[in-house]
Amino acid sequence: MTATHCPYCALQCAMSLHPAPDPAPDPAPDAVPDAVLAAPPGGSASVVVQGRDFPTNKGGLCQKGWTSASLLGVGDRLTTPLVRGADGELHAASWDDALDLVAERATAIAAAHGRDSVAVFGGGGLTNEKAYALGKFARTVLRTANIDYNGRFCMASAAAGANRAFGLDRGLPFPLADLGGAQAVLLLGSNLAETMPPSLQHLTGARGRGGLVVVDPRRSATAALTADGAGVHLQPVPGTDLAVLLALLHVVWAEGLGDADYLAARTTGADAVRRSVAPWWPERAEQVCGIDAEQLRRVARLLAAASPAGGGSGAYILTGRGVEQSTQGTATVTAAINLALALGLPGRVGSGYGAVTGQGNGQGGREHGQKADQLPGYRKIDDPAAREHVARVWGVDPASLPGPGLPAVELLRRLGAPAGPDAPAGPKMLFVHGSNLVVSAPNSTMVTANLQALDFLVVCDFVPSETARLADVVLPVTQWAEEEGTMTSLEGRVLRRRQAVAAPPGVRSELAILADLAARLRSPVHFGTDPAEVFDELARASAGGPADYSGLSHARLDAEPIPGLFWPCPAVPAETGAPHPGTPRTFLDTFPTADGRARMIAVDHVGPSDDLRPDAPLYLITGRVLQHYQSGAQTRRVEELAAAQPGPFVEIHPVLALTLGIEDDAPVRLATARGAIVAPARLTTSVRQDTVFMPFHWSGAGSVNRITTDATDPISGMPEFKVCAVDVSLAGTVLAPALPTSVEVLR
Amino acid sequence: MTDSTALARPPRTRVVVVGNGMVGSRFVDDLLARDGPGPGPEARFEVTVLGAEAYEPYNRVLLSEVVAGKVEVASLALPALVHPRATVHRGTAAARIDRARRVVHAADGSVHPYDALVLATGSSARIPAITGLPSLAGPASHTGAACAAGSGEPDPEKPALPRGVHALRTLDDAREIVAASVNARRAVVIGAGVLGLEVACGLARRGLAVSVVHGGPSLMDRQLDPDAGAVAAATLTRLGVAVRLAARTTEIHTTDGHLASLRVTQPDGEHHLPVDLLVLACGTIPETHLAADAGLPVDRGIVVDDVLCSPGDRRIFAIGDCAQPPEGGTGLIAQGWDQSRRLADHLAASAARTVDAPGAPRVRLGGVQLDPGRASMALRLSMHVVTRAAVGPLVDSPSSGTALASAQPALEAPRGTDVVRLKAAGLDVVTMGVCGARRALDPSHRTVRLSDPSAGRHVEVVVAGGVVVGATCVGAPQIGADLTAAYTRRTPVPADPAYLLLQPVASATTTASDPTHMPDRTTVCRCNSVTKAAIVEAWHGGARSVADVAAATRATTGCGGCTDVVCGLVDWLGATALTTVPAAP
Repeated sequence: MTATHCPYCALQCAMSLHPAPDPAPDPAPDAVPDAVLAAPPGGSASVVVQGRDFPTNKGGLCQKGWTSASLLGVGDRLTTPLVRGADGELHAASWDDALDLVAERATAIAAAHGRDSVAVFGGGGLTNEKAYALGKFARTVLRTANIDYNGRFCMASAAAGANRAFGLDRGLPFPLADLGGAQAVLLLGSNLAETMPPSLQHLTGARGRGGLVVVDPRRSATAALTADGAGVHLQPVPGTDLAVLLALLHVVWAEGLGDADYLAARTTGADAVRRSVAPWWPERAEQVCGIDAEQLRRVARLLAAASPAGGGSGAYILTGRGVEQSTQGTATVTAAINLALALGLPGRVGSGYGAVTGQGNGQGGREHGQKADQLPGYRKIDDPAAREHVARVWGVDPASLPGPGLPAVELLRRLGAPAGPDAPAGPKMLFVHGSNLVVSAPNSTMVTANLQALDFLVVCDFVPSETARLADVVLPVTQWAEEEGTMTSLEGRVLRRRQAVAAPPGVRSELAILADLAARLRSPVHFGTDPAEVFDELARASAGGPADYSGLSHARLDAEPIPGLFWPCPAVPAETGAPHPGTPRTFLDTFPTADGRARMIAVDHVGPSDDLRPDAPLYLITGRVLQHYQSGAQTRRVEELAAAQPGPFVEIHPVLALTLGIEDDAPVRLATARGAIVAPARLTTSVRQDTVFMPFHWSGAGSVNRITTDATDPISGMPEFKVCAVDVSLAGTVLAPALPTSVEVLR
Repeated sequence: MTDSTALARPPRTRVVVVGNGMVGSRFVDDLLARDGPGPGPEARFEVTVLGAEAYEPYNRVLLSEVVAGKVEVASLALPALVHPRATVHRGTAAARIDRARRVVHAADGSVHPYDALVLATGSSARIPAITGLPSLAGPASHTGAACAAGSGEPDPEKPALPRGVHALRTLDDAREIVAASVNARRAVVIGAGVLGLEVACGLARRGLAVSVVHGGPSLMDRQLDPDAGAVAAATLTRLGVAVRLAARTTEIHTTDGHLASLRVTQPDGEHHLPVDLLVLACGTIPETHLAADAGLPVDRGIVVDDVLCSPGDRRIFAIGDCAQPPEGGTGLIAQGWDQSRRLADHLAASAARTVDAPGAPRVRLGGVQLDPGRASMALRLSMHVVTRAAVGPLVDSPSSGTALASAQPALEAPRGTDVVRLKAAGLDVVTMGVCGARRALDPSHRTVRLSDPSAGRHVEVVVAGGVVVGATCVGAPQIGADLTAAYTRRTPVPADPAYLLLQPVASATTTASDPTHMPDRTTVCRCNSVTKAAIVEAWHGGARSVADVAAATRATTGCGGCTDVVCGLVDWLGATALTTVPAAP
């Protein structure tokens, strides 16, 4: 039995992997398995999954988790490097040939076009060790400024908002289980019931107290949990969550419901924020967000009554991608934090503000140096002291480290671009790790074209994802249960990922690949290949930084009774005795800002960048379904999940469908300024009449990110996935099938 | 026009704004948000603000909420203007405009030269012609304190109202009404428009016996037709507010200088109403005398064209309540904020052109057609555009690679600034577009009305050309909010307006109470995509407990939220088996 965690989202549900029983003869159809150890149907997995008791998932798993072992046996698993030949096709190649080619091209392109012409794109699913090694590889071997990662699509606005308000970004600065005691939980743009179902257990308390408030333009599965007196669902016009928050803040102050003592003692900037919300009285906000003014007042009072100052048992405000993936995402997070501060929530046991991190290692992935502007330990790359410290750990001259590079969306826009009057030529070569940009990037048709315009594309993946299929070299890597490492969950808890099965022959860990490439590129910098050793180095590099892991090691994490410790967890000198216990709750005494106070910053609502116009009179919003994860590169290969959710669809309100002459299941054409796609209609009253919804997990004709906007938040660089203007009509043609997930070209 | 410094850097355009109220202060924010951060050549404007009131700008819209005791006065303060190129003179009234020299003379003797002059002097409360009240139409004043609204000009010459009689236009008015309400028992509000009803409900909320005396035939007759007004009146009566319609107040009696009673003429005769507190909510009068004295065209308000420019002087603009644009002033803040944004766009665009073309006039004012149809949501809803200055408030960075709605001219004139929303506890009224008196017989309009007087509900929606063109909602706040969204954004709606009035029936939810009627395909366990059929199948396969079902189907093994339902299904299956043979799933 191997104790580990789920391969997918940031909840990182604890599970154990058990060796699969010998393939039994077909069991009788009526037989009932005697345990929950049922082997997932459809997979030829060598292990079976069991939920494991843990504070976050309490033994529960969703369908993705239960079937995750199928990933180990997917039919089109990559087991050999592939190199694009003169015929334009990918062909099997030896590791030596493939790595030589990569090293040769990286050298040649950097020599011809400068170091920054070789770029790296990482992922929030990589282990801490891999994320760290990738950043180090970019900065010391390639010495390129241009490294960023798909976390820019997920967490950048929450990170920017939390950093400037609190001086620290840890998604949840408290254990998830703390939610259980709250009287009220305000969820903004987060659909936990689909994205991390086992987490719903922690909302039971707030629901029982009538205090679950969900802000979502859809009556999502999560919003539906507010029914029957469990809370309130606010269903705003897409892109107006910020107006909702400003109105709530207005009511809190107008009705004297704020925590004046807390504001005086623990914050700065309250007066300017109070003035900034004076123009957001509920009746005006109603005209912007479409929510009845009295509902807004009711929710503000509900939250205030739940706050410590209001005599309640505590309140939490949580944001998710629905409000963060916006050109005003940082402003919206800031408004949510302002509301939390006005109510006196952050830094108090039983209350707080948090961002619900999405990707498996979305938290750790943004701490260890694969972000364009950061070095390990959540240090800023333009901070001389940070450069000095990290360069010493890496054994290089601080001056040799590059400065900040392009953030993800800008990086993708510049790929292969010629030099212009305002900008140098874009990167010519790209390494992609743990990301399927063709499906997951905004305005993905443009991104795909840019990937094709590169001189050289290297993709590390374990399946032939849509992005891997565009590569010049594909390097097959280990996955999840085939490797050791650590992941940092949504609550900032560092968890051990453990190996349960041997990787297939021919597959290598990214740590080994990066070490090998460093050697081939004649770098003197040492790259470890043992995850525990790499972690130790990461811990040293993080020492003294905001995300300090220096008191942690694989061995210490393995020895904990409840495995997993919360950062910051600094090293303690041996003579002092007990090691640092970790920090489950931050901000209890002070905020890590210059003056120890949280900063309130006035923000205002502007609206979406791509707002309605006569030829695009409806809103398009996007989101997830329970059965799929991100671009679907993994979950679409799990038969049971693919069967449950086989393809994309468009949710349309019956009244809108009537207006447009669209019947259930009819092909619907969605056209935005970026292009048009087609997918079948699914009529439902859960979506607003001025809005259509599509999940984004698929490639091909129904791949919604082909038409989402890549306009970005000016502060975080995060793209506005979640709202744009769309024209909706009945499609004249038959639906084109999605691209097949298996790849014949490989054989 | 001086051009001596044009070589080094275009001289900055001096903008003088008269009025530091909700619209004037917003305009300064809007204009400077469109300007470079300075002090480089991108910094094109220097702004001087003259505000008659000593206060910082505050949210006048919420004064009725102060009267109602629903909000704290401190929450009315609007953002303080802190900008290196803006100078605010509070308590400094503008006295005279010298158009020939292009200067504004202030009451304190100071002189303020301008390249562009923006009048945002607001309006003042209309004092009806009633025996016992001072003068005829004109601003009211208490003891010479500033009273003209929109930080207009105080006029110490105006005689004071009798004690106990108040208009509601300024923070001081609101404070005085609140103070007076402490000792008053009987209050009368003259005028049943938006403000009158808000004040009436607010005073009733404070426990006063309130009567509304209204000259018109029905409540809010500018917005509501008689049927809708009657429903609102019934609700008001239920809230304890007496309503007197078609009622003219002819005389105010005072005792020792304090209000004592009113004489009111109604169709059924004459009434004497004893009263301790009287609030006049009889509309407003645009504050125009500065413009009139300067020889600019003035009608009801300061006449401006569709770029908010006076036809008498291309350097002088008027916005907010003091202005009379071609479409007419509505007195709504949304219109004023919309004008603020449009004028800021216009001046910024004009200045940008002159930067590009040295030698051209510094600002070619009024000569460029402002596009009133550029109807982004920011325009239609008059949203603030200050904090996005980093990317440019209206045009995203050129590298964004996206087409923006705001860059696309829309065909229709700006809409949505005429939504009227009552703020009165217990009485919900929203109107927009084609409604009440503005409703004309138009064969292209389809109108559906749902009238439910005994529930206090009256909804009417008008659809034309596939969009909502008007609506009236009394006592139906969420429908009102939805229709407002559809109206202001022009989202497509069915040709038959009836669909917009009927709330869709919520889809049936899974319950454990009646498993018999639960469809087989109903998902019981969302986390693991387990349907009722699968659970029935597992039961037939031998799973007799929740744990058995969990082992067979994984139901309940995610969030656990369906445990009760699975338990109910297991019990039902067991009970059914005792009595009958369950049908095959």
